[in-house]
Amino acid sequence: MNEKLRTALAATRRHFLTGCGIGLANMFLAHAQDNPLAPKKPHHAPKAKSVIFLHMAGSPSQLELFDYKPELVKYNGKPCPDELLKGKRFAFIKGVPKMLGTPYKFKQHGQSGAWVSELMPHFSSIVDDVTIVRSMCTDQFNHAPAQLFVHTGNPRFGFASMGAWATYGLGTENQDLPGFVVLTSGGNNPDGGKSLWGSAFLPSVFQGVHCRSHGDPVLFLSDPEGVTRGVRRKTLDALKDLNAMQAKNAGDPETEARMGQYELAYRMQISVPNVMDISKEPESVHKAYGTEPGKTSLGNNCLLARRLVENGVRFVQIYDWGWDHHGTSKRDDIQYALQPHIKTADQAVTALIKDLKQRGLLDQTLVVWGGEFGRTPMRENRGGTEGAFIGRDHHPYAYTMWMAGGGMKKGLNYGETDEIGYYVTRDKMSPRDLQATILHQLGLDPHQLHYPYLGLNQRLIGPTDEARVMKDLLV
Amino acid sequence: MRWLLWIGATLFAFAQEPDFQRDIRPLLGKKCLACHGPDEQSRQAGLRLDTFDGATKTKSIIPGDSSKSRLLARVTHATRPMPPTGPRLTETEIGLLRKWIDGGAAYTNHWAYEKPKRPAETSIDVLVLARLKSRSLTFSKEADRPTLARRAALDLIGVPPESAALTAYLKGGDFEKYIDQLLASPQFGERWAKVWLDLARYADTQGYEKDSKRSIWPYRDWVIRAYNDNLPFDKFTTLQLAADLTADPSIDDLIATGFHRNTMTNTEGGTDDEEFRDLAIRDRVATTGQVWMGQTWGCAQCHTHKYDPLTHKEFYQIYGFFNQTADDDHPSDRPVLKLTSTASTLVLKELPEDKQRKTRIYDRGNYLTPGEEVKAGVPAAFHPLPPKAPKNRLGFAQWLLSPDNTLTARVQVNRFWSRLFGSGLVESEEDFGTQGIPPTYPEVLDLLAIDFQKDWDVKKLLKRIVISDTYKQSSDVTPELLKLDPANKLLARGPRFRLDAEVVRDQALASAGLLSKKQFGPPVMPWQPDGVWLVVYNGDNWVTSKGEDRYRRALYTFMRRTSAYPSMMNFDAPTGETCTIRRIRTNTPLQALTSLNDPAFMEAAQRLAERAVKESPLDPARRLFELVLLRPPTRPEAARLALLQRQTEQDLRSQPDNVNKLLRYSEVLYAEDRVATLIPDARTSPKEWRFTTSEPADGWMQPGFDDSQWGAGPGYFGFFTKPNETTPIKTGWNTETLFLRYALELGDKLPTKFKMPIRTNSQFDVWVNGVSALNNIYERSGHYEYAINENGQKAFRPGKNIIAIRVARYGTSTNGQVFDPGLVASMPLAPPKPGRPDAARASWVVVANTVLNLDETVTRR
Repeated sequence: MNEKLRTALAATRRHFLTGCGIGLANMFLAHAQDNPLAPKKPHHAPKAKSVIFLHMAGSPSQLELFDYKPELVKYNGKPCPDELLKGKRFAFIKGVPKMLGTPYKFKQHGQSGAWVSELMPHFSSIVDDVTIVRSMCTDQFNHAPAQLFVHTGNPRFGFASMGAWATYGLGTENQDLPGFVVLTSGGNNPDGGKSLWGSAFLPSVFQGVHCRSHGDPVLFLSDPEGVTRGVRRKTLDALKDLNAMQAKNAGDPETEARMGQYELAYRMQISVPNVMDISKEPESVHKAYGTEPGKTSLGNNCLLARRLVENGVRFVQIYDWGWDHHGTSKRDDIQYALQPHIKTADQAVTALIKDLKQRGLLDQTLVVWGGEFGRTPMRENRGGTEGAFIGRDHHPYAYTMWMAGGGMKKGLNYGETDEIGYYVTRDKMSPRDLQATILHQLGLDPHQLHYPYLGLNQRLIGPTDEARVMKDLLV
Repeated sequence: MRWLLWIGATLFAFAQEPDFQRDIRPLLGKKCLACHGPDEQSRQAGLRLDTFDGATKTKSIIPGDSSKSRLLARVTHATRPMPPTGPRLTETEIGLLRKWIDGGAAYTNHWAYEKPKRPAETSIDVLVLARLKSRSLTFSKEADRPTLARRAALDLIGVPPESAALTAYLKGGDFEKYIDQLLASPQFGERWAKVWLDLARYADTQGYEKDSKRSIWPYRDWVIRAYNDNLPFDKFTTLQLAADLTADPSIDDLIATGFHRNTMTNTEGGTDDEEFRDLAIRDRVATTGQVWMGQTWGCAQCHTHKYDPLTHKEFYQIYGFFNQTADDDHPSDRPVLKLTSTASTLVLKELPEDKQRKTRIYDRGNYLTPGEEVKAGVPAAFHPLPPKAPKNRLGFAQWLLSPDNTLTARVQVNRFWSRLFGSGLVESEEDFGTQGIPPTYPEVLDLLAIDFQKDWDVKKLLKRIVISDTYKQSSDVTPELLKLDPANKLLARGPRFRLDAEVVRDQALASAGLLSKKQFGPPVMPWQPDGVWLVVYNGDNWVTSKGEDRYRRALYTFMRRTSAYPSMMNFDAPTGETCTIRRIRTNTPLQALTSLNDPAFMEAAQRLAERAVKESPLDPARRLFELVLLRPPTRPEAARLALLQRQTEQDLRSQPDNVNKLLRYSEVLYAEDRVATLIPDARTSPKEWRFTTSEPADGWMQPGFDDSQWGAGPGYFGFFTKPNETTPIKTGWNTETLFLRYALELGDKLPTKFKMPIRTNSQFDVWVNGVSALNNIYERSGHYEYAINENGQKAFRPGKNIIAIRVARYGTSTNGQVFDPGLVASMPLAPPKPGRPDAARASWVVVANTVLNLDETVTRR
């Protein structure tokens, strides 16, 4: 293990020693840190054991789904006022776009009276289990930097992802599975690429493991063609013996550590396919999630996420691609494209919440859903002209995310935007606040969790202290 | 008994005289300087503790009298001690401060900002041994010849050595002569180029969202040649940073400027080009600071450095040197230097004087709030620009190489040391600043740095280190020594550490006799699992290279930033998005899975087994060890291998199919070599499909459906408003939807990996025998090869198969629409030759796979 990691872990331990009064006894446990993924004591009592973060890459249109703006409907087709355009940077909007009211109907649902559009009938039935935040606000308006900002705390490359921080701080419960699993759907990796689940300066053992839902769930998991499980076991036994012979002379503890990884790999060859095999689930479950066996889909991934956290995985990151509804063609507009996509997502994600709840897992699983920014109240006019299809451009100033489980309040509608959904008017929340809150629910102090690198104690929430744990959202 | 050591160390520390650099500076740095340091903006209570004047003028420190020093009163305050946040000072630290203040509170300059001092002794070994002796230690015994042969080869050329040179050395030849042969090998440059390319953040794509291909491999080749030709480091520096500004640069010289063109270009729709050009310049400043001087200048893009001597303004003054190049985050990556009809590379080109940019400080690093204009310049705390140095990148390069620069030589020497010893004399290679880790052997570092600075001769430096006794020590360690010095900081034993990703792979290929000696040229694509490249927008495919390009050295592998080659990622290779000064070695199960199960490794195992059995039929196990570990197995090792072989052979006797697969693993692997066209498309001689444009009855995609009433015609289907010669429409289609069916006959042994090359600008869905097999909504150029999904693959059967396609137009077509389908697949493996399957021979493949996974194999010791 390198000096940095040793020092950082030692610093964390020393923190507990001085802060928790456990004293010298804990020093004896120090050597257990030879396995960096072994479960670690959190900073304070956690509410969530696991996180499932559902990122809708491209960014779903909050004005079509959650943020009901009847005034905007009234202004539909009117030119956008100058003060909303001056000094602003847009990805694609040029000149003076027209306002775009939503074509969809909204209703209030549940005891909480949450406004949800007709596009999400399933979600409407669980509004009393979730906290909806309509006042998210970011400062990034391009996909890759915005996604990087949400997931690594910095819009540039080179910073560790949320899941890496979580496993760095807490290890994972099930040593036979990766601690941080990534699932993707929608046909593409998210725009920020693999750095979104990377470990950057943290040791690479904490990086997300991309599990695929067809073929080998983890790359190189299957034995090569021609090698049976029995033969594989024999090779591992031989490795164990041969390595032990070497170790006797060489004396390097790394040899034993490496052999441990080989044995873990062997166990993962059973445990990972088991967990990733949804075919064993009853028909009713498949129907609820809308799974598509043999394909990659959000429904499959949601079901997998439940199985993963059920089996002790610390952090599950789901990326679903294809929410960038600019309206340049039938493939990315808010009618032809959005409708089928939200239909699948609405069903899958609601099924996940209900399934977790029914299994008694929701309280200890923090589920987060959202994109990297919002979409404009104006209709996008690509290149200055209105096309045949309807969509919205990127909008950082106001968007919606929701969270459930893991100690989040039930049936809460948090934050407000102005009458056209342009700016946040009440209870603004930033991605930094989101990061702080997630870490907090896991039992980690976001201001303390750090790794020394380049002279700075690097943190997910960045070097400033602006990130807030959003106490108003918590039970 | 660790706690005894801990207490002992504490008492020891108490007894020592505090050394400012070792004891006081780091503690001030960690616990005080963020608020009481060089950064004026964040300074609290007007107090700075990083200078003697700052600390003493407010009586915070009274030299000689700790009891009256307010600093101590504050840190020991009962209820509100300093610092107010973060970890408090420990008893030990307070004791050190007290002693130091009482001793006069001497502030010494940070070691790395003082000129290197030439020690009295000029031998690495004498210096190291002196320290060991002072700790009652001595050198470990010298490693034996096979160990040294392997270690030196893997360290210097990254592959096992040529057999002639190896044999000569093993038979008793001169070690120095062996080293000279390694240094002269053309493979030397390939190994050390990779080290440099980590720093250069080299990749074959632009980065960010689209991550499109970029041609910059000539730069990579330039680096390889530079190392092989032993280009002195000063020239190496000047050419990369500023060849275009030197007098009369050759084309070759200009290629070198690709170093800083490795920065990323953002072509995501809606991004601001100037914003990302600015980011690239900031990256160039930060990277230059790290690579040449081990300074963390990047921190100062937002604020004055909290610890090291670089103000916010000075960051932008250095930026000013780099701010005048013509590249501007353009999708074309201009300026591009065309080399031949097929090769081009990216270069730096200075803007003419009248077009040069103004450089401004960005307030808090925010691109949207530019502030004061600054002129290019170097930081005041360092030496000045050499006289006559031009105020541009060339002058700045001269500044980096100036004899007054206390850092450049040390940082390079330290890096070379680190690659040979597993860790630098300064472990924090990326930070020689005040927050970094001080050198374990400052005298060795300075000695090598001073000599390196004389002639900047890299091979000479490497040879000097490698022929030292310090390097040649055995890496075996006793439990006592391990406990005393777990990380081998004292150098009382030789270095032992896991190999770099590239070496793990190259070694496997080389020992199998598979590694191609071919050098240079465009990047290649060795075998990679399907579906790793899920690219956004540009539909690039990973197309496995043919022939020997499959077995090139790892550094030639196509590097895509957003989707790097998985087996190398698993072994800690970087992605090329930012400068990687050193790789942190980890130990994960994914590495085990890779070297055990990655088919590319298994192929090496198969060929290695073949080679061993051929070259040593009576004792293949011995040959396996010799090829991989350069030594024969010991008796117990040989016995254990024999047992494995017998057990495996036993199992395989009842698995003829597996025997076949193992013996022909290469053939099994490269399904792409067995691709046949099952339904040709319009590019060759297209077949007729049954088609209709009116909505057919339900179940039209089912095998049993009667399509006799449909029309028949070949691709291209569609229409163009203006006739298109390259895309001749054979069957007209100008409605919203098109339905196609094709009856395909397959033999008993089914092909695998069905793919459909399809040309389309519409969305489409495919069914195989009624099973949904492929859905696509994206438009891609040309005939793109779409993979049939898992269910579809399984739906094919011997005899008649019905392929059904529904095509649906997107919106209104202005130019027309086109659709043309085909089908390809990998044909099954030819049946094995008749005769009893050779379980014994196949078992050696398994044994070879095992040997490639020994701890000793993936380690250099």
